[in-house]
Amino acid sequence: MSEQSLEELPLLETLDHLLDRGVIIAGEAVISIGDVDLLYLGLNVVLANVDAIIRTSKR
Amino acid sequence: MKSVAIGAHLLRDDVEPLASATVVGDLFLSAVEVADDQPLGDRELLLRVADVRARLLDVATFVAIRYGFTFTSAADAHARCAAHLARWQRLLTEHRSRVEMTLKVAAASALPRPDRREFTSGADYLRALHAATQSASVDPAFREQAERLIASPSARHRWIHRDERSVELAALIDRERVDDVLRAGEELRRAAPAVPFLLSGPWPLEVFADDSDE
Repeated sequence: MSEQSLEELPLLETLDHLLDRGVIIAGEAVISIGDVDLLYLGLNVVLANVDAIIRTSKR
Repeated sequence: MKSVAIGAHLLRDDVEPLASATVVGDLFLSAVEVADDQPLGDRELLLRVADVRARLLDVATFVAIRYGFTFTSAADAHARCAAHLARWQRLLTEHRSRVEMTLKVAAASALPRPDRREFTSGADYLRALHAATQSASVDPAFREQAERLIASPSARHRWIHRDERSVELAALIDRERVDDVLRAGEELRRAAPAVPFLLSGPWPLEVFADDSDE
């Protein structure tokens, strides 16, 4: 399933699998202004739709 | 530089030279390397990762890691994946010759998607959204045909509610049977022309590697 298949598949389906499938690894982010770290976030989902968040929260 | 993870693989040769390979225990993480300030939502990056992901699957089956996980070193990657490694190794060994395929079916009936503006409580909105998602159903006759044509040749299968508009059948298929399943999809189209569906794949281990779906 390389270039040809990617072209045949609807782009949204491909991105849906990328963004909404697979194992979730905990992430983290620091929101800063200038050189000052203001907020630390522990993340389970960096990019996901609301339905994915609901499924995750059911665990 | 930071690495945007794509998947976990059994062998280094399953990864290189298509992507960078980072050792995590007895496994290897595939990733694409980007600048530290590269936004993960960048369209070109998403498409690049999707393309590499597809090429990696041509080489060997791997455990898909949901987009968004980045790491800066092998030690960082290992620390954050350590809890998963034994399970991933078992899955990769057991299903190395298999891929996932997905049948996404338009729901025959479902509750309407709730409108966030009608809820003062975010929790109530999420509960209503969940109820709408779980209410999506597939025509029983179509489901029976899908079970016969798509699920029966699979090693494992699972029906999943993802949103209020569709229901998905995820199937774990031996690689040599992918073409059979694609032909089964054509037969399903002829048998149920009125039911909108999309049969896609092969995909890496996604649903069957995600313990939140178990």
